[in-house]
Amino acid sequence: MADASQTGPIVSRHDPRYEVSMYRYVGVDGAHTLDFYRSHGGYDAARKALTTMTPEQVVDEVKASGLRGRGGAGFPTGVKWSFMPPPDGRPRYVLCNADESEPGSFKDRYILEDDPHQLIEGMIIAAHAMRATHGFIYVRGEYMLGIERTVAAVEEARSAGLLGEKILGSELSFDITVHRGAGAYICGEETALMNSLEGLRANPRLKPPFPAAAGLYGMPTTINNVESLASAVHIINRGAAWFASMGTEDSKGTKLYQISGPVHRPGIYEMPMGATFRELIYDFAGGPSLEPKAFIPGGSSTPMFPWEDRFLDMNMDYGTLAKNGSMLGTGGVIVIPRDKDIVDLMFNLVRFYAHESCGKCTPCREGVAHWLPRLYQKLVEGLGTQEDVDLIEDLANNIRGTAFCPLADACVMPVQASFKWFRDEYEYLAEHKVPKYGKTDWWQA
Amino acid sequence: MKVKVNDVELDLKPGTSAIDAVFSAGDDVPYFCSQEYMSPIGACRMCLARIGAPRKDKGGEWILDEETGEPKIFWFPNLMATCTTQVMEGMVIDTRSEPVKRAQNSMVEYTLINHPLDCPVCDKGGACELQDRSYEYGSGISRFEFDKRHQEKHHALSELITLDRERCIHCKRCVRYFEEVPGDEVLDFIERANHTYISSEEQGLPNNFTGNITDICPVGALLDATSRFRGRNWEYHHTPSVTMDDATGAAVWIDSRTGRIERIKARLNPEVNKTWIDDGTRFGHEYVDDASRLLTPLIRRGGELVPASWDEAAAFVAERLGGMSGKDVGIAIRADSTVEEGIGAIALAEHLGTGQVDHAPRHEAPVVAPAAERATLTELATADAVFVAGDVTEEASILDLRIKDALRGVTPPELLPHGVPIADLRLKERQPRDARLLTVAAPYRVDLMKYAGRALRYAPGQEAALFRDLEAAVRAGDTRVEKNDSAQPEHGVAAADVSAAAAQLAKAERAVVVLGGTVLASQQATAAALALAKAAGAKVMLVGPMANSHGLELLGVLPSHANYAYPAMLETARALILSHLDPAQDPDVAERLKQKDLLVVHDSFLTETAALADVVLPAKTVYERDGTVVNLEGRFLRVVAAPVEGGTSEDLTGLVKRLGDALGQRLEGRSVRSAHRVLKQRLDLDLTELPEWGEILAAKAPDKRRDAAAGAKAETPRRRGGNVVVTASMVRPEYAYLNPHLLAERGGPALRVNPADAQAHGLAAGDDVRLRVNGMWRRATVKVTEDVPAGLMTIPATPDQPQGLAHADLSTLAVLREREAVA
Repeated sequence: MADASQTGPIVSRHDPRYEVSMYRYVGVDGAHTLDFYRSHGGYDAARKALTTMTPEQVVDEVKASGLRGRGGAGFPTGVKWSFMPPPDGRPRYVLCNADESEPGSFKDRYILEDDPHQLIEGMIIAAHAMRATHGFIYVRGEYMLGIERTVAAVEEARSAGLLGEKILGSELSFDITVHRGAGAYICGEETALMNSLEGLRANPRLKPPFPAAAGLYGMPTTINNVESLASAVHIINRGAAWFASMGTEDSKGTKLYQISGPVHRPGIYEMPMGATFRELIYDFAGGPSLEPKAFIPGGSSTPMFPWEDRFLDMNMDYGTLAKNGSMLGTGGVIVIPRDKDIVDLMFNLVRFYAHESCGKCTPCREGVAHWLPRLYQKLVEGLGTQEDVDLIEDLANNIRGTAFCPLADACVMPVQASFKWFRDEYEYLAEHKVPKYGKTDWWQA
Repeated sequence: MKVKVNDVELDLKPGTSAIDAVFSAGDDVPYFCSQEYMSPIGACRMCLARIGAPRKDKGGEWILDEETGEPKIFWFPNLMATCTTQVMEGMVIDTRSEPVKRAQNSMVEYTLINHPLDCPVCDKGGACELQDRSYEYGSGISRFEFDKRHQEKHHALSELITLDRERCIHCKRCVRYFEEVPGDEVLDFIERANHTYISSEEQGLPNNFTGNITDICPVGALLDATSRFRGRNWEYHHTPSVTMDDATGAAVWIDSRTGRIERIKARLNPEVNKTWIDDGTRFGHEYVDDASRLLTPLIRRGGELVPASWDEAAAFVAERLGGMSGKDVGIAIRADSTVEEGIGAIALAEHLGTGQVDHAPRHEAPVVAPAAERATLTELATADAVFVAGDVTEEASILDLRIKDALRGVTPPELLPHGVPIADLRLKERQPRDARLLTVAAPYRVDLMKYAGRALRYAPGQEAALFRDLEAAVRAGDTRVEKNDSAQPEHGVAAADVSAAAAQLAKAERAVVVLGGTVLASQQATAAALALAKAAGAKVMLVGPMANSHGLELLGVLPSHANYAYPAMLETARALILSHLDPAQDPDVAERLKQKDLLVVHDSFLTETAALADVVLPAKTVYERDGTVVNLEGRFLRVVAAPVEGGTSEDLTGLVKRLGDALGQRLEGRSVRSAHRVLKQRLDLDLTELPEWGEILAAKAPDKRRDAAAGAKAETPRRRGGNVVVTASMVRPEYAYLNPHLLAERGGPALRVNPADAQAHGLAAGDDVRLRVNGMWRRATVKVTEDVPAGLMTIPATPDQPQGLAHADLSTLAVLREREAVA
């Protein structure tokens, strides 16, 4: 147990210096209302930014905090904000990517449902920093309650003068439109999201031009994840130094980690960056409820790890996971029980990506969306051979790094990882025509 | 900047794409989704390569490799699509290493898993990009053992284009084409993942340039319905020629097989049509093979036209001409005759001693502007202001596309060693068009107005008044005192629109004024328009009515006197030699033709005029002639004859030779070679060797004849006013009923009427009607549209009914066949 007087960065939620920031009021009754938010210090950060800081100072503050994008790629948020060209009279947009579609991720949902004003405040700060003229929140279509509450919150904020002309007496005129997506995973890709928002087919666009140069409707645009924008509120409130005092060398601040699968207390835990998987899984989620054999570290598209001490003791930060051949992603940890056959599990995952492929580029449309699921189906039905196993691995290797956008990689990287750690389950199935772990009656467990 | 492709070092301009670097180095990478004149999108992933580049450190110095001391190459972590990657200083592109080969191999494999291997029955077989690339870059075996995707195999996108959805490889060329080139987004992908397919939102493809998608489709998914299942690519004879359907000189391939034209495709000419042609040009060839084609000469014996040999026919004509003096004979040829045929017509007229020689249709105003004032198509495509008077989409359709190029603001790419850049990175999807640059003026709504910042719809016949107002506004500039505009001007265009259009022209540095037939039909209007162009410092582009109007005017296939022009010779000449003209559709003219001492008709079909003739000579169609045409830029272009079965048909040079032989004279222009000799001697024009994409040559025109002809028209009082605008059509009305596919798609020549008028005259859309327009019987299909104002109709011009305002006699209007009830 850490001591409150120690000087190192906070990397554990057991550290007494640590307190929850973004998820502080999640789960509290009535926390989604403006009254509640304001009576708990809401919009103080926006007031501070708008009335006492120049846009450049806000950008510098966020840069200094070391905040990295929480959507999965981990690009430094302050740097991204500084890419916006100087104002030239054209509209400038701030987009919030709330199309949380990655299996295993559900952190943004509760901000939308229980603390939407936190997001709105983050967007106001971002708008001030980038001198944006309009904001859009693109919400995943299935998040009905989140949409309802976010729309209501935007209206509340507008009536209270927190959105609209000359916000809080500053020069900033900014409003927000909430847009409900129609349930496509590809819309989590920033340029596909913009196409979708424009009413076009949700295909990813060619980059460059990057959104800051030509984004939504061809205008300068910056797109951030819900959690990144919420983090900005606390960075402005409490200072970059506070934020940077948590985490590891390359990953600062706190992060919303999600844990699902057979554990005793699945859910979302806000923890300092760099906490270990073991702390999340055992100390907070109460440990596995079935015998585990692997875990996925950051959402379905991140390569899995076998249940070994060396992996459980890894720090959950960007650098450590990259070094170990995976990604932090959205921080959605999924525990995989021993009795779930890996081939069946991957079939489920591949089918998801096959369904979600947009069809723009060849390897994804033909490989991910057609060939891979067919091969898996053949294996799972007990018709596969050793050649099929080799073929799946070969296809995954061929698709890796050749597609237009990251969706195809998001599918084949977990496949590659499953081969790396659990090839024996594939071979067992090909040889015996029945899975090595055949448990299917999960609901009776 | 220095780039290294495999082992070849190159120096390329910044902005070049990596794929063009590879091709510039003489190397090859496969690609499906890139197309020369469309935005690169990197969708097919075929052109992947391993790419690296040196980096600079924070001090701005190249980071050096410790071993070699050279700048260190940092390889990108993934293979890169070369079509969407821009070259960088010191970039290294590797297209031959094992990972690249592996990627190419697997992309071919992925592309083929859902592609039906029905190459033996596919029209694209033998000319298929996928087939070629599979041979070159594929592994030759398939590891895919499941069912392929099954989708609709015979989806008629329109009567002209059939889509096989199973063959589609989703390169998106056709989708991008409609958005980026003609601008009407009529196709898109529907569904997603491997269910993705191409479709139009509604039935049909409402666009004038749809056929181009069959050229750019890399596989056999989009096919020209006129040629579907009619031959294999290796059986076709490919003739590189140019369009004879309008004055643009767009390059085409004529693909023929066993003496029949099977299809026409666009051919590359970067300075003229890029790789696009319109649907009229592409699909309007079926008439050539019609069963009613004339294959032998006919001589009238005992009141009947009976087959004869050319020698008999020529002797017959020579004998009858023998008894006449030169001034009794009139010769008129259609304005799509070649330069060489024009020389033949002049030679024949000179031998017979007649000044009654003319080409038709011919506008009242000359169409050859002085070279210094004449705009080229490249200048049009790079103009910073375009003023269009008329419906250029129908008159000279390529102008429509080149004007849209100008609106996109992307200059034509510079040619690389391998030709037009494969991936021009300046082109983007959904690139906005700057409508402010374009003003379109016409008495009714035309297609191009959709893209124009200002659409000036003026009262019919008021062109001159409008141009005079515009000129005054240009000359007055900003200092102009606003007139009291309470009085509606005669031409009906609001003063604000006039001054906005004038201001745009005046401030532009590279303005182009395009004048169509409705203006050129009147000398007054043309003079006013040219004065406007001069005041604005704009170049002009005059659209001649037919493919070689410019060439024939340039050569002087013109009467020597006002009273010798074509309409006049129909009245006065005792003997007439008409090539491809059919004036007898006017019953009054037909009566007079019957009185002629000799009527010789040279045509491909037994027209109404031919049926009255003493001698009918079978003519080659426009696709069967060798020679030269001059397009509206003054560009000399080679026309090449396709091997088509046409019996004993001859073109005009052949006719001149046969007739000359019978007259005992070796006439000039009796062959292409002889015509070229004449051109060399008289006009110092060497047409024996023309470059592939034609050449704008300075030709000294025989001004004497031109002036006389111009004078001729000026003296003929033109009937002003009327209730129908005879306008150009990209589909030839004279052959409309002989082109079944085009007829099914578009109906006959369109008689466009306002809904109010349609109701007043009891007409419904799709009715097949006939009526007399300026005396001439016309058959047309009714199109009811708000595009034309009440009280005005439009009908396409024919060679015998030139463009301009005319009078339709509504008392003659008869419905031949009502529109078939739609189930």
